[in-house]
Amino acid sequence: MTPLLEAAGLTVGFAGVTALDGLDLSLEAGELRCAIGPNGAGKSTLLKCLSGRLRPDAGRVRLAGRDVTGLSVDALARAGIGLKTQVPSLFESLTAAEHCRLAARGPVDHGLLARLGLAGRAGRPVRELSHGERQLTELAAVLAARPRLVLLDEPAAGLSAEETERVAAELRGLAGRAAAIAVEHDLRFVAALGCPVTVLHRGRVLAHGAYERVMAEPAVRAAYFGRGGATGKAPGCSK
Amino acid sequence: MTAAGWGHAGVVAATAAGAAVLPEVLSLYATINATSFVVLAILALSLGLVWGFGGIVCFGQTAFFGIGGYAYAVAAINFGDSTLAAPVAALAAAAFALVLGWVMFYGRVGGVYVGVITLTATLILYKLVNATAGPEYAIGAARLGGANGMPATPPLNLPFDPASSLGPEASLRVALAALAVCYLAGACLLAAPFGRVAVAIRENPLRAALLGYDARPRRTLLFVVGGAMAGLAGALYAATSFVSPAMFGLGAAAQLLVWTVAGGLGTLIGPVLGAVAIQYLTLRAGELGVLDPALSRIDSNAVMGLLLIAVVIAAPRGVWPSLRRLAAGRRR
Repeated sequence: MTPLLEAAGLTVGFAGVTALDGLDLSLEAGELRCAIGPNGAGKSTLLKCLSGRLRPDAGRVRLAGRDVTGLSVDALARAGIGLKTQVPSLFESLTAAEHCRLAARGPVDHGLLARLGLAGRAGRPVRELSHGERQLTELAAVLAARPRLVLLDEPAAGLSAEETERVAAELRGLAGRAAAIAVEHDLRFVAALGCPVTVLHRGRVLAHGAYERVMAEPAVRAAYFGRGGATGKAPGCSK
Repeated sequence: MTAAGWGHAGVVAATAAGAAVLPEVLSLYATINATSFVVLAILALSLGLVWGFGGIVCFGQTAFFGIGGYAYAVAAINFGDSTLAAPVAALAAAAFALVLGWVMFYGRVGGVYVGVITLTATLILYKLVNATAGPEYAIGAARLGGANGMPATPPLNLPFDPASSLGPEASLRVALAALAVCYLAGACLLAAPFGRVAVAIRENPLRAALLGYDARPRRTLLFVVGGAMAGLAGALYAATSFVSPAMFGLGAAAQLLVWTVAGGLGTLIGPVLGAVAIQYLTLRAGELGVLDPALSRIDSNAVMGLLLIAVVIAAPRGVWPSLRRLAAGRRR
């Protein structure tokens, strides 16, 4: 069966620095995946490539077998790719409900807003909302568009524990309906998602598999903590 | 009906009341001036729509105004009738906006560069029209007249009845009706899904694209609608005043920006009020010397300049949005 997403040989460089170095990645329909890695590993660059915000120097991206490399951001969104940006990117004068209406091109899914804890705030312009509420509003807008592939750049950044759990529950609930790649630094959130993890390092895939197994790999620990950290305990690992 | 709906209804009612009362109470001189104010308010409305709601920084909206004026004059002279000349003028301006908008927006030109290109376009047209003085520069029976323009532009007439020209009072009513129609068209466009998406694109083009909205056709269409409105204003200006290259000029383009920004971007009524109020104040400032010779040394442009500096400092978002915020603050 054709994977939903196939990225092959993705290469991106900025002024002599290689952000992605021939990266290969594959994702099945409905699969939830976390992409982690130390700063500069290429996580955000990967999401920018997949969402059309960056054109790769080399490599191809296929969505459900269709080559979508180099398509514009809006064309990729219409093809079924949704992106939640690292810093919430919103329409400041619109409400959360209006964001969802625009995204869905139809009626608002009030259930989605309620699950994300926005029911009581859905009628206020987003410029009046807290950072956490803005994060949740952007996530609601992305999900309201019913994408086939959801890309999330640090969805839990700046959220309270309660909000983080809401987001994790919503993403776990996506499984089977839409595929998702969550780039995240908060390893407790990654552990809470309970999904396979892909570790990026220096623009390549360093490891892939279950969170705790991957985090136990010496190469991963070395990438995170340097050689001295190879014997330490990964954050978020309870065992 | 929503608050915005009531506001729009109020504007249309005020325009209708103006059409009923003003021609009856104003002198001939004031009626002619009022017609000019209203026509130029339509031009400001067109820029308010394109810039204030579409985020298209169009410094050369006068290009469409001038094209509308010249197209009206040429069509009315050749047809011998103004009935179809006004739509022809709006269509000619819309066609130019379509070509210019397509080139800019599909060429991924944005921000201040749109302002530079549109301003350049209107200044090129100004130069071109100025260079049409000879008899060889004629379209049918209509001579373009170079720097002198086309002073013998036919006035408006009753539909398909060229013998029945409209007087100044009827022309004022037509101008007010055109303003009401353009205002309502803008309000309906903005209330429709198209308008909501256009505003969303203005607010955050990246998020709009990430939700699958292609900005290019929407910006082009809004630009064309604004161009058609400006063209209609140009036609009415030509019919009630005269046509000259100054319609494309830097002075006209700059005045239009001042009216629109001072009135308030992001509202439809702000630019309309800005255009009418500033033209009225300019006229009165110019009359100071006539009323009292001691005041004739005062430069009316300097007075307006000071007034505008005061507006920019006191109400940087424009007078109308500031008044609205003030009123909302008092209600709370």
